[in-house]
Amino acid sequence: MRHALRVIAAEALKQHRRSFGRPLVVASMLLWPVLQLAATYYTMLPVLDTPGIASRWPDAAQPARLLAFLAAGAFAYLFYFSLVQSAWHFSFERISGTIELLFLSPASRLALVFANGTGALVQNTWLAGCFAVAAASAGGALHVAHPGMYAVAALALVVPAIVWGAFLNSLLVFSRDSAFLYTLLDDPLWFVSGVRLPLFAMPLAIKAVGLAFPLTSSLIVLRGALLDAQPLSALLEPLALLTGLCALLFAATAALLRLGEARAQRTGSMQLY
Amino acid sequence: MPVAWATLKRNWLVMQRAYPWTYFIGTLAPGVFTVVLALLSYEAIGGGRVSDWFRGASGTPDYLGYVTVGAAALMFTTRMVLWVAKAQITEQREGTLESQLLTPARRLPYLLGVSLQAFLTSLLELTCLFGTALLLGVRLPAPDPVTLAAGVLAALVAVVGLSIPVSAIMIAAGEAHITQNTLFCLIGLVCGFTFPPALLPAPLTWLGELLPATSALRVLRAASLHAAPLGEVAADLLLCLGLGVAYAAVGLLFLPHAERRAVIRGASA
Repeated sequence: MRHALRVIAAEALKQHRRSFGRPLVVASMLLWPVLQLAATYYTMLPVLDTPGIASRWPDAAQPARLLAFLAAGAFAYLFYFSLVQSAWHFSFERISGTIELLFLSPASRLALVFANGTGALVQNTWLAGCFAVAAASAGGALHVAHPGMYAVAALALVVPAIVWGAFLNSLLVFSRDSAFLYTLLDDPLWFVSGVRLPLFAMPLAIKAVGLAFPLTSSLIVLRGALLDAQPLSALLEPLALLTGLCALLFAATAALLRLGEARAQRTGSMQLY
Repeated sequence: MPVAWATLKRNWLVMQRAYPWTYFIGTLAPGVFTVVLALLSYEAIGGGRVSDWFRGASGTPDYLGYVTVGAAALMFTTRMVLWVAKAQITEQREGTLESQLLTPARRLPYLLGVSLQAFLTSLLELTCLFGTALLLGVRLPAPDPVTLAAGVLAALVAVVGLSIPVSAIMIAAGEAHITQNTLFCLIGLVCGFTFPPALLPAPLTWLGELLPATSALRVLRAASLHAAPLGEVAADLLLCLGLGVAYAAVGLLFLPHAERRAVIRGASA
Protein backbone atom coordinates (compact mmCIF):
# COMPACT_ATOMS: atom_id res chain seq x y z
CA MET A 1 0.00 0.00 0.00
CA ARG A 2 2.81 2.40 0.85
CA HIS A 3 4.40 1.57 -2.45
CA ALA A 4 1.16 2.32 -4.31
CA LEU A 5 0.75 5.63 -2.50
CA ARG A 6 4.26 6.66 -3.47
CA VAL A 7 3.52 5.87 -7.11
CA ILE A 8 0.31 7.88 -6.88
CA ALA A 9 2.12 10.84 -5.31
CA ALA A 10 4.79 10.78 -8.02
CA GLU A 11 2.24 10.58 -10.81
CA ALA A 12 0.16 13.35 -9.25
CA LEU A 13 3.21 15.60 -9.13
CA LYS A 14 3.95 14.83 -12.77
CA GLN A 15 0.39 15.56 -13.85
CA HIS A 16 0.38 18.76 -11.84
CA ARG A 17 3.57 19.99 -13.46
CA ARG A 18 2.36 19.08 -16.89
CA SER A 19 -1.21 20.27 -16.94
CA PHE A 20 -1.91 22.74 -14.14
CA GLY A 21 -3.27 25.98 -15.51
CA ARG A 22 -2.74 24.98 -19.13
CA PRO A 23 -5.11 26.58 -21.65
CA LEU A 24 -6.25 23.13 -22.85
CA VAL A 25 -7.54 22.26 -19.38
CA VAL A 26 -9.49 25.50 -19.05
CA ALA A 27 -10.92 25.24 -22.56
CA SER A 28 -11.82 21.56 -22.63
CA MET A 29 -12.93 21.30 -19.01
CA LEU A 30 -14.90 24.51 -18.61
CA LEU A 31 -15.39 26.64 -21.71
CA TRP A 32 -16.48 23.98 -24.24
CA PRO A 33 -18.75 22.06 -21.85
CA VAL A 34 -20.56 25.26 -20.84
CA LEU A 35 -21.09 26.30 -24.47
CA GLN A 36 -22.27 22.80 -25.40
CA LEU A 37 -24.56 22.63 -22.41
CA ALA A 38 -26.22 25.90 -23.44
CA ALA A 39 -26.65 24.67 -27.03
CA THR A 40 -28.21 21.38 -25.88
CA TYR A 41 -30.53 23.18 -23.50
CA TYR A 42 -31.85 25.53 -26.18
CA THR A 43 -32.19 22.68 -28.68
CA MET A 44 -34.39 20.71 -26.28
CA LEU A 45 -36.41 23.66 -25.07
CA PRO A 46 -38.99 23.58 -27.93
CA VAL A 47 -40.15 20.01 -27.12
CA LEU A 48 -40.58 20.83 -23.44
CA ASP A 49 -43.42 23.31 -23.68
CA THR A 50 -45.91 20.83 -25.14
CA PRO A 51 -49.27 19.64 -23.81
CA GLY A 52 -48.99 16.58 -21.57
CA ILE A 53 -45.31 17.07 -20.69
CA ALA A 54 -46.11 16.79 -16.97
CA SER A 55 -47.19 13.17 -17.44
CA ARG A 56 -44.41 12.19 -19.87
CA TRP A 57 -41.48 13.70 -18.00
CA PRO A 58 -42.56 15.23 -14.69
CA ASP A 59 -38.95 15.79 -13.62
CA ALA A 60 -38.30 18.40 -16.26
CA ALA A 61 -41.58 20.17 -16.66
CA GLN A 62 -39.92 23.54 -15.98
CA PRO A 63 -36.96 24.87 -17.97
CA ALA A 64 -34.88 25.27 -14.78
CA ARG A 65 -35.30 21.56 -14.01
CA LEU A 66 -34.31 20.66 -17.56
CA LEU A 67 -31.20 22.79 -17.21
CA ALA A 68 -30.33 21.06 -13.91
CA PHE A 69 -30.87 17.65 -15.53
CA LEU A 70 -28.62 18.52 -18.49
CA ALA A 71 -26.01 20.22 -16.30
CA ALA A 72 -25.73 17.15 -14.06
CA GLY A 73 -25.26 15.07 -17.21
CA ALA A 74 -22.63 17.41 -18.62
CA PHE A 75 -20.78 17.46 -15.29
CA ALA A 76 -20.64 13.68 -14.93
CA TYR A 77 -19.67 13.32 -18.57
CA LEU A 78 -16.81 15.73 -17.96
CA PHE A 79 -15.38 13.41 -15.30
CA TYR A 80 -15.38 10.48 -17.68
CA PHE A 81 -14.20 12.51 -20.61
CA SER A 82 -11.29 13.95 -18.65
CA LEU A 83 -10.10 10.36 -18.31
CA VAL A 84 -10.49 9.76 -22.02
CA GLN A 85 -8.28 12.80 -22.46
CA SER A 86 -5.84 11.51 -19.83
CA ALA A 87 -5.60 8.17 -21.64
CA TRP A 88 -4.89 10.13 -24.81
CA HIS A 89 -2.06 11.87 -22.99
CA PHE A 90 -0.87 8.51 -21.67
CA SER A 91 -0.34 7.49 -25.28
CA PHE A 92 2.15 10.37 -25.55
CA GLU A 93 4.38 8.40 -23.17
CA ARG A 94 4.86 6.01 -26.03
CA ILE A 95 5.67 8.78 -28.48
CA SER A 96 8.19 10.35 -26.12
CA GLY A 97 9.67 6.95 -25.29
CA THR A 98 8.91 7.02 -21.58
CA ILE A 99 6.37 4.20 -21.47
CA GLU A 100 9.22 1.71 -21.71
CA LEU A 101 10.94 3.39 -18.77
CA LEU A 102 7.73 3.16 -16.75
CA PHE A 103 7.61 -0.57 -17.35
CA LEU A 104 11.30 -0.98 -16.58
CA SER A 105 10.85 0.69 -13.19
CA PRO A 106 9.84 -1.46 -10.20
CA ALA A 107 6.56 0.49 -9.82
CA SER A 108 3.44 -1.65 -9.70
CA ARG A 109 1.73 -1.43 -13.09
CA LEU A 110 -1.70 -1.40 -11.56
CA ALA A 111 -0.77 1.44 -9.21
CA LEU A 112 0.69 3.26 -12.21
CA VAL A 113 -2.44 3.26 -14.35
CA PHE A 114 -4.63 4.10 -11.36
CA ALA A 115 -2.30 6.90 -10.36
CA ASN A 116 -2.34 8.28 -13.87
CA GLY A 117 -6.14 8.31 -13.96
CA THR A 118 -6.51 9.77 -10.47
CA GLY A 119 -3.94 12.47 -11.04
CA ALA A 120 -5.55 13.49 -14.31
CA LEU A 121 -9.00 13.51 -12.76
CA VAL A 122 -7.92 15.85 -9.98
CA GLN A 123 -5.95 18.12 -12.29
CA ASN A 124 -8.73 18.33 -14.85
CA THR A 125 -11.95 18.51 -12.91
CA TRP A 126 -11.21 20.67 -9.87
CA LEU A 127 -12.07 23.77 -11.86
CA ALA A 128 -15.34 22.43 -13.20
CA GLY A 129 -16.07 20.95 -9.78
CA CYS A 130 -15.79 24.34 -8.05
CA PHE A 131 -17.86 25.89 -10.80
CA ALA A 132 -20.56 23.23 -10.51
CA VAL A 133 -20.79 23.49 -6.70
CA ALA A 134 -21.08 27.28 -6.97
CA ALA A 135 -23.69 27.06 -9.74
CA ALA A 136 -25.73 24.41 -7.94
CA SER A 137 -25.82 26.27 -4.63
CA ALA A 138 -26.60 29.57 -6.34
CA GLY A 139 -29.26 28.07 -8.63
CA GLY A 140 -31.09 26.24 -5.84
CA ALA A 141 -31.64 23.19 -8.05
CA LEU A 142 -30.50 20.65 -5.46
CA HIS A 143 -33.08 18.48 -3.73
CA VAL A 144 -31.39 16.07 -1.37
CA ALA A 145 -33.09 13.58 0.96
CA HIS A 146 -30.27 13.32 3.48
CA PRO A 147 -26.86 15.06 3.77
CA GLY A 148 -25.17 11.66 3.48
CA MET A 149 -26.45 11.43 -0.07
CA TYR A 150 -23.86 14.03 -1.13
CA ALA A 151 -21.19 11.51 -0.20
CA VAL A 152 -23.03 8.72 -2.03
CA ALA A 153 -23.30 10.86 -5.18
CA ALA A 154 -19.66 11.91 -5.00
CA LEU A 155 -18.43 8.35 -4.52
CA ALA A 156 -20.71 7.03 -7.29
CA LEU A 157 -19.14 9.57 -9.61
CA VAL A 158 -15.47 9.51 -8.64
CA VAL A 159 -14.75 5.83 -7.94
CA PRO A 160 -16.14 4.42 -11.22
CA ALA A 161 -14.51 7.26 -13.14
CA ILE A 162 -11.09 6.34 -11.75
CA VAL A 163 -11.57 2.64 -12.52
CA TRP A 164 -12.73 3.61 -16.01
CA GLY A 165 -9.61 5.72 -16.48
CA ALA A 166 -7.34 2.88 -15.37
CA PHE A 167 -9.10 0.56 -17.81
CA LEU A 168 -8.60 2.98 -20.72
CA ASN A 169 -4.93 3.40 -19.83
CA SER A 170 -4.43 -0.36 -19.74
CA LEU A 171 -5.85 -0.61 -23.28
CA LEU A 172 -3.10 1.68 -24.51
CA VAL A 173 -0.42 -0.79 -23.49
CA PHE A 174 -1.59 -2.73 -26.55
CA SER A 175 -2.35 -0.05 -29.06
CA ARG A 176 -0.21 2.53 -30.71
CA ASP A 177 -3.24 4.29 -32.10
CA SER A 178 -5.03 6.50 -29.63
CA ALA A 179 -7.33 8.30 -32.07
CA PHE A 180 -9.91 5.57 -31.49
CA LEU A 181 -10.40 6.96 -27.98
CA TYR A 182 -11.85 10.19 -29.27
CA THR A 183 -13.75 8.57 -32.10
CA LEU A 184 -15.41 5.90 -29.99
CA LEU A 185 -15.67 7.53 -26.61
CA ASP A 186 -16.63 11.13 -27.21
CA ASP A 187 -19.96 11.39 -29.01
CA PRO A 188 -21.15 7.77 -28.70
CA LEU A 189 -20.41 7.86 -24.96
CA TRP A 190 -22.65 10.82 -24.21
CA PHE A 191 -25.32 9.49 -26.47
CA VAL A 192 -25.74 6.00 -25.00
CA SER A 193 -25.22 7.07 -21.39
CA GLY A 194 -28.20 9.38 -21.19
CA VAL A 195 -26.10 12.50 -20.71
CA ARG A 196 -28.49 14.67 -22.71
CA LEU A 197 -31.61 12.52 -22.77
CA PRO A 198 -33.56 10.72 -20.05
CA LEU A 199 -33.27 6.94 -20.28
CA PHE A 200 -37.01 6.45 -20.85
CA ALA A 201 -36.76 8.29 -24.17
CA MET A 202 -34.27 5.81 -25.59
CA PRO A 203 -34.98 2.60 -27.46
CA LEU A 204 -34.34 -0.60 -25.50
CA ALA A 205 -31.25 -1.61 -27.50
CA ILE A 206 -29.48 1.71 -26.85
CA LYS A 207 -30.43 1.52 -23.19
CA ALA A 208 -28.90 -1.96 -22.96
CA VAL A 209 -25.64 -0.75 -24.55
CA GLY A 210 -25.66 2.26 -22.25
CA LEU A 211 -25.91 0.19 -19.09
CA ALA A 212 -22.60 -1.47 -19.96
CA PHE A 213 -20.88 1.89 -19.41
CA PRO A 214 -20.44 2.94 -15.77
CA LEU A 215 -21.29 6.53 -16.68
CA THR A 216 -24.96 5.57 -17.17
CA SER A 217 -25.38 4.24 -13.64
CA SER A 218 -23.24 7.01 -12.17
CA LEU A 219 -25.62 9.49 -13.72
CA ILE A 220 -28.72 7.71 -12.43
CA VAL A 221 -27.31 7.90 -8.91
CA LEU A 222 -26.10 11.49 -9.27
CA ARG A 223 -29.39 12.80 -10.60
CA GLY A 224 -31.51 10.70 -8.25
CA ALA A 225 -29.57 11.72 -5.16
CA LEU A 226 -28.99 15.39 -5.90
CA LEU A 227 -31.91 16.49 -8.05
CA ASP A 228 -34.84 14.23 -7.13
CA ALA A 229 -34.21 13.76 -3.38
CA GLN A 230 -34.26 9.97 -3.67
CA PRO A 231 -33.18 8.02 -0.56
CA LEU A 232 -30.44 5.41 -0.62
CA SER A 233 -32.95 2.55 -0.77
CA ALA A 234 -34.28 3.80 -4.12
CA LEU A 235 -30.81 3.81 -5.67
CA LEU A 236 -29.60 0.39 -4.57
CA GLU A 237 -30.12 -1.12 -8.02
CA PRO A 238 -27.86 1.27 -9.99
CA LEU A 239 -25.35 1.25 -7.13
CA ALA A 240 -25.17 -2.54 -7.25
CA LEU A 241 -24.70 -2.45 -11.03
CA LEU A 242 -22.01 0.19 -10.60
CA THR A 243 -20.16 -1.94 -8.05
CA GLY A 244 -20.33 -4.94 -10.37
CA LEU A 245 -19.07 -2.91 -13.33
CA CYS A 246 -16.21 -1.49 -11.27
CA ALA A 247 -15.15 -4.97 -10.14
CA LEU A 248 -15.30 -6.19 -13.73
CA LEU A 249 -13.30 -3.24 -15.08
CA PHE A 250 -10.75 -3.64 -12.27
CA ALA A 251 -10.25 -7.31 -13.08
CA ALA A 252 -10.03 -6.52 -16.79
CA THR A 253 -7.44 -3.81 -16.12
CA ALA A 254 -5.25 -6.17 -14.09
CA ALA A 255 -5.54 -8.91 -16.73
CA LEU A 256 -4.91 -6.55 -19.66
CA LEU A 257 -1.82 -5.11 -18.01
CA ARG A 258 -0.33 -8.60 -17.54
CA LEU A 259 -1.23 -9.68 -21.07
CA GLY A 260 -0.03 -6.41 -22.54
CA GLU A 261 3.29 -6.52 -20.76
CA ALA A 262 3.87 -10.16 -21.71
CA ARG A 263 3.05 -9.32 -25.31
CA ALA A 264 5.32 -6.30 -25.28
CA GLN A 265 8.16 -8.42 -23.91
CA ARG A 266 7.64 -10.93 -26.68
CA THR A 267 7.31 -8.50 -29.56
CA GLY A 268 9.46 -5.64 -28.27
CA SER A 269 6.73 -3.22 -29.30
CA MET A 270 7.07 -1.01 -26.23
CA GLN A 271 9.73 1.14 -27.83
CA LEU A 272 8.03 1.31 -31.21
CA TYR A 273 5.84 4.08 -32.28
CA MET B 1 -5.82 30.04 -61.36
CA PRO B 2 -3.11 27.46 -62.15
CA VAL B 3 -2.21 27.59 -58.43
CA ALA B 4 -5.79 26.83 -57.38
CA TRP B 5 -6.03 23.99 -59.89
CA ALA B 6 -2.68 22.49 -58.85
CA THR B 7 -3.60 22.68 -55.15
CA LEU B 8 -6.97 21.12 -55.86
CA LYS B 9 -5.33 18.27 -57.76
CA ARG B 10 -2.68 17.68 -55.10
CA ASN B 11 -5.16 17.69 -52.22
CA TRP B 12 -7.54 15.43 -54.10
CA LEU B 13 -4.73 12.95 -54.59
CA VAL B 14 -3.73 13.13 -50.94
CA MET B 15 -7.32 12.62 -49.87
CA GLN B 16 -7.73 9.63 -52.17
CA ARG B 17 -4.58 7.94 -50.88
CA ALA B 18 -4.93 8.74 -47.19
CA TYR B 19 -8.51 9.64 -46.37
CA PRO B 20 -8.77 10.99 -42.79
CA TRP B 21 -11.37 8.52 -41.48
CA THR B 22 -11.13 9.65 -37.88
CA TYR B 23 -11.97 13.21 -38.89
CA PHE B 24 -14.86 11.94 -40.99
CA ILE B 25 -16.35 9.89 -38.17
CA GLY B 26 -15.54 12.65 -35.70
CA THR B 27 -17.68 15.12 -37.64
CA LEU B 28 -20.37 12.74 -38.91
CA ALA B 29 -21.06 11.40 -35.41
CA PRO B 30 -22.03 14.75 -33.84
CA GLY B 31 -24.32 15.46 -36.80
CA VAL B 32 -26.03 12.08 -36.64
CA PHE B 33 -26.33 12.16 -32.86
CA THR B 34 -27.83 15.66 -33.00
CA VAL B 35 -30.51 14.41 -35.38
CA VAL B 36 -31.16 11.28 -33.29
CA LEU B 37 -31.31 13.34 -30.09
CA ALA B 38 -33.86 15.67 -31.67
CA LEU B 39 -35.85 12.73 -33.01
CA LEU B 40 -35.99 10.89 -29.68
CA SER B 41 -36.79 13.96 -27.62
CA TYR B 42 -39.42 15.06 -30.16
CA GLU B 43 -41.17 11.73 -29.87
CA ALA B 44 -40.67 10.68 -26.24
CA ILE B 45 -40.59 14.06 -24.51
CA GLY B 46 -42.64 16.27 -26.83
CA GLY B 47 -45.08 13.48 -27.66
CA GLY B 48 -44.66 14.16 -31.39
CA ARG B 49 -45.33 17.88 -30.97
CA VAL B 50 -43.38 21.04 -30.53
CA SER B 51 -44.29 24.10 -28.50
CA ASP B 52 -46.40 26.81 -30.10
CA TRP B 53 -43.79 29.55 -29.77
CA PHE B 54 -41.28 27.53 -31.82
CA ARG B 55 -43.10 28.42 -35.02
CA GLY B 56 -42.94 32.11 -34.25
CA ALA B 57 -39.26 32.00 -33.30
CA SER B 58 -38.04 29.81 -36.14
CA GLY B 59 -40.56 30.41 -38.94
CA THR B 60 -41.41 26.73 -39.33
CA PRO B 61 -43.40 24.19 -37.30
CA ASP B 62 -41.13 21.39 -38.60
CA TYR B 63 -38.77 20.86 -35.64
CA LEU B 64 -37.05 17.79 -37.10
CA GLY B 65 -36.50 19.42 -40.48
CA TYR B 66 -35.15 22.51 -38.74
CA VAL B 67 -32.65 20.50 -36.68
CA THR B 68 -31.63 18.24 -39.59
CA VAL B 69 -30.80 21.13 -41.92
CA GLY B 70 -28.93 22.78 -39.05
CA ALA B 71 -26.96 19.64 -38.19
CA ALA B 72 -26.01 19.23 -41.85
CA ALA B 73 -24.92 22.88 -42.04
CA LEU B 74 -22.88 22.45 -38.84
CA MET B 75 -21.18 19.39 -40.28
CA PHE B 76 -20.45 21.29 -43.49
CA THR B 77 -18.99 24.20 -41.52
CA THR B 78 -16.79 22.07 -39.26
CA ARG B 79 -15.53 20.00 -42.16
CA MET B 80 -14.70 23.06 -44.26
CA VAL B 81 -12.95 24.78 -41.34
CA LEU B 82 -10.97 21.61 -40.61
CA TRP B 83 -9.76 21.48 -44.22
CA VAL B 84 -9.31 25.15 -45.07
CA ALA B 85 -8.29 26.80 -41.79
CA LYS B 86 -5.94 23.94 -40.97
CA ALA B 87 -4.35 23.82 -44.43
CA GLN B 88 -1.47 26.10 -43.56
CA ILE B 89 -0.77 24.77 -40.08
CA THR B 90 -0.71 21.30 -41.60
CA GLU B 91 1.86 22.52 -44.13
CA GLN B 92 3.83 23.88 -41.21
CA ARG B 93 3.64 20.62 -39.27
CA GLU B 94 4.68 18.67 -42.32
CA GLY B 95 7.53 21.09 -42.89
CA THR B 96 6.32 22.51 -46.20
CA LEU B 97 5.16 25.96 -45.09
CA GLU B 98 8.56 27.49 -45.90
CA SER B 99 8.54 26.07 -49.41
CA GLN B 100 5.02 27.37 -49.86
CA LEU B 101 6.20 30.81 -48.81
CA LEU B 102 9.14 30.66 -51.21
CA THR B 103 7.03 29.88 -54.30
CA PRO B 104 5.65 32.81 -56.29
CA ALA B 105 2.11 31.44 -55.73
CA ARG B 106 -0.31 33.85 -54.09
CA ARG B 107 -2.22 32.89 -50.98
CA LEU B 108 -5.80 33.36 -52.19
CA PRO B 109 -5.61 30.93 -55.15
CA TYR B 110 -3.93 28.37 -52.89
CA LEU B 111 -6.74 28.63 -50.33
CA LEU B 112 -9.35 28.52 -53.10
CA GLY B 113 -7.87 25.28 -54.37
CA VAL B 114 -7.96 23.82 -50.87
CA SER B 115 -11.55 25.03 -50.48
CA LEU B 116 -12.76 23.53 -53.75
CA GLN B 117 -11.37 20.12 -52.90
CA ALA B 118 -12.85 20.40 -49.40
CA PHE B 119 -16.18 21.47 -50.86
CA LEU B 120 -16.43 18.47 -53.19
CA THR B 121 -15.43 16.07 -50.40
CA SER B 122 -17.85 17.67 -47.94
CA LEU B 123 -20.74 17.34 -50.39
CA LEU B 124 -20.09 13.61 -50.62
CA GLU B 125 -19.93 13.38 -46.84
CA LEU B 126 -23.12 15.39 -46.39
CA THR B 127 -25.01 12.81 -48.44
CA CYS B 128 -24.02 10.30 -45.72
CA LEU B 129 -25.66 12.48 -43.10
CA PHE B 130 -28.82 13.07 -45.14
CA GLY B 131 -28.98 9.35 -45.98
CA THR B 132 -28.78 8.48 -42.28
CA ALA B 133 -31.45 11.05 -41.42
CA LEU B 134 -33.69 9.63 -44.15
CA LEU B 135 -33.21 6.10 -42.79
CA LEU B 136 -34.12 7.34 -39.33
CA GLY B 137 -37.39 8.66 -40.65
CA VAL B 138 -36.75 12.39 -41.11
CA ARG B 139 -38.60 13.70 -44.17
CA LEU B 140 -37.61 16.98 -45.80
CA PRO B 141 -39.87 18.81 -48.26
CA ALA B 142 -38.74 19.37 -51.87
CA PRO B 143 -36.43 22.42 -51.91
CA ASP B 144 -36.31 25.30 -54.37
CA PRO B 145 -33.25 24.28 -56.44
CA VAL B 146 -32.13 27.79 -57.44
CA THR B 147 -32.35 29.21 -53.90
CA LEU B 148 -30.70 26.10 -52.48
CA ALA B 149 -27.79 26.35 -54.93
CA ALA B 150 -27.42 30.05 -54.11
CA GLY B 151 -27.56 29.23 -50.40
CA VAL B 152 -24.90 26.54 -50.67
CA LEU B 153 -22.68 28.90 -52.63
CA ALA B 154 -23.18 31.66 -50.06
CA ALA B 155 -22.42 29.19 -47.25
CA LEU B 156 -19.23 28.22 -49.08
CA VAL B 157 -18.13 31.85 -49.32
CA ALA B 158 -19.08 32.34 -45.66
CA VAL B 159 -17.07 29.43 -44.24
CA VAL B 160 -14.06 29.98 -46.51
CA GLY B 161 -14.09 33.65 -45.53
CA LEU B 162 -14.26 32.72 -41.86
CA SER B 163 -11.50 30.13 -42.24
CA ILE B 164 -8.87 32.55 -43.53
CA PRO B 165 -8.53 34.66 -40.35
CA VAL B 166 -8.76 31.42 -38.32
CA SER B 167 -5.87 30.05 -40.36
CA ALA B 168 -3.87 33.18 -39.56
CA ILE B 169 -4.61 32.76 -35.84
CA MET B 170 -3.62 29.10 -35.96
CA ILE B 171 -0.23 29.55 -37.59
CA ALA B 172 0.51 32.62 -35.48
CA ALA B 173 -0.31 30.73 -32.28
CA GLY B 174 1.18 27.46 -33.51
CA GLU B 175 -1.87 25.69 -32.12
CA ALA B 176 -5.01 24.28 -33.72
CA HIS B 177 -6.84 22.04 -31.24
CA ILE B 178 -8.07 24.71 -28.82
CA THR B 179 -8.77 27.31 -31.53
CA GLN B 180 -10.84 25.00 -33.71
CA ASN B 181 -12.91 23.45 -30.91
CA THR B 182 -13.61 26.80 -29.27
CA LEU B 183 -14.77 28.09 -32.65
CA PHE B 184 -17.02 25.05 -33.20
CA CYS B 185 -18.60 25.33 -29.75
CA LEU B 186 -19.12 29.06 -30.19
CA ILE B 187 -20.74 28.94 -33.62
CA GLY B 188 -22.76 25.90 -32.51
CA LEU B 189 -24.28 28.13 -29.86
CA VAL B 190 -24.73 31.55 -31.48
CA CYS B 191 -25.44 30.83 -35.16
CA GLY B 192 -28.73 29.01 -34.68
CA PHE B 193 -27.79 25.65 -36.11
CA THR B 194 -30.11 23.58 -33.94
CA PHE B 195 -32.39 26.19 -32.38
CA PRO B 196 -33.64 29.67 -33.30
CA PRO B 197 -31.08 32.28 -32.14
CA ALA B 198 -33.98 34.40 -30.87
CA LEU B 199 -33.94 32.18 -27.74
CA LEU B 200 -30.48 33.44 -26.79
CA PRO B 201 -29.76 36.52 -24.68
CA ALA B 202 -29.61 39.60 -26.92
CA PRO B 203 -25.78 40.13 -26.93
CA LEU B 204 -25.25 36.56 -28.13
CA THR B 205 -27.82 37.07 -30.88
CA TRP B 206 -25.88 40.11 -32.12
CA LEU B 207 -22.66 38.15 -31.95
CA GLY B 208 -24.34 35.50 -34.09
CA GLU B 209 -25.36 38.11 -36.65
CA LEU B 210 -21.70 39.10 -37.01
CA LEU B 211 -20.86 35.58 -38.15
CA PRO B 212 -21.80 34.83 -41.76
CA ALA B 213 -23.04 31.33 -40.91
CA THR B 214 -26.19 32.78 -39.31
CA SER B 215 -27.47 34.43 -42.49
CA ALA B 216 -26.32 31.48 -44.60
CA LEU B 217 -28.46 29.22 -42.42
CA ARG B 218 -31.51 31.43 -42.92
CA VAL B 219 -31.09 31.14 -46.69
CA LEU B 220 -30.54 27.37 -46.55
CA ARG B 221 -33.59 26.87 -44.35
CA ALA B 222 -35.81 29.09 -46.49
CA ALA B 223 -34.71 27.12 -49.54
CA SER B 224 -35.04 23.65 -48.07
CA LEU B 225 -38.01 23.97 -45.72
CA HIS B 226 -40.22 26.56 -47.48
CA ALA B 227 -39.00 26.32 -51.11
CA ALA B 228 -38.69 30.11 -51.03
CA PRO B 229 -37.89 31.87 -54.33
CA LEU B 230 -34.59 33.71 -54.69
CA GLY B 231 -36.12 37.18 -54.31
CA GLU B 232 -37.33 36.41 -50.78
CA VAL B 233 -33.87 35.63 -49.44
CA ALA B 234 -31.92 38.30 -51.36
CA ALA B 235 -31.21 40.40 -48.25
CA ASP B 236 -29.79 37.48 -46.25
CA LEU B 237 -27.86 36.28 -49.28
CA LEU B 238 -26.17 39.66 -49.71
CA LEU B 239 -25.48 39.94 -45.97
CA CYS B 240 -23.87 36.50 -45.95
CA LEU B 241 -21.74 37.18 -49.02
CA GLY B 242 -20.73 40.60 -47.71
CA LEU B 243 -19.66 39.19 -44.31
CA GLY B 244 -17.84 36.29 -45.96
CA VAL B 245 -15.86 38.59 -48.23
CA ALA B 246 -15.12 40.96 -45.33
CA TYR B 247 -13.74 38.11 -43.19
CA ALA B 248 -11.67 36.88 -46.13
CA ALA B 249 -10.26 40.37 -46.73
CA VAL B 250 -9.32 40.81 -43.06
CA GLY B 251 -7.78 37.35 -43.04
CA LEU B 252 -5.71 37.96 -46.18
CA LEU B 253 -4.53 41.25 -44.68
CA PHE B 254 -3.28 39.53 -41.52
CA LEU B 255 -1.95 36.36 -43.12
CA PRO B 256 1.50 37.75 -44.09
CA HIS B 257 2.10 38.89 -40.49
CA ALA B 258 0.96 35.53 -39.14
CA GLU B 259 3.26 33.74 -41.59
CA ARG B 260 6.18 35.87 -40.50
CA ARG B 261 5.53 34.99 -36.86
CA ALA B 262 5.20 31.31 -37.71
CA VAL B 263 8.54 31.29 -39.53
CA ILE B 264 10.32 33.22 -36.77
CA ARG B 265 8.99 30.82 -34.14
CA GLY B 266 10.21 27.88 -36.17
CA ALA B 267 8.75 24.45 -36.79
CA SER B 268 7.68 23.84 -33.22
CA ALA B 269 3.93 23.70 -33.94
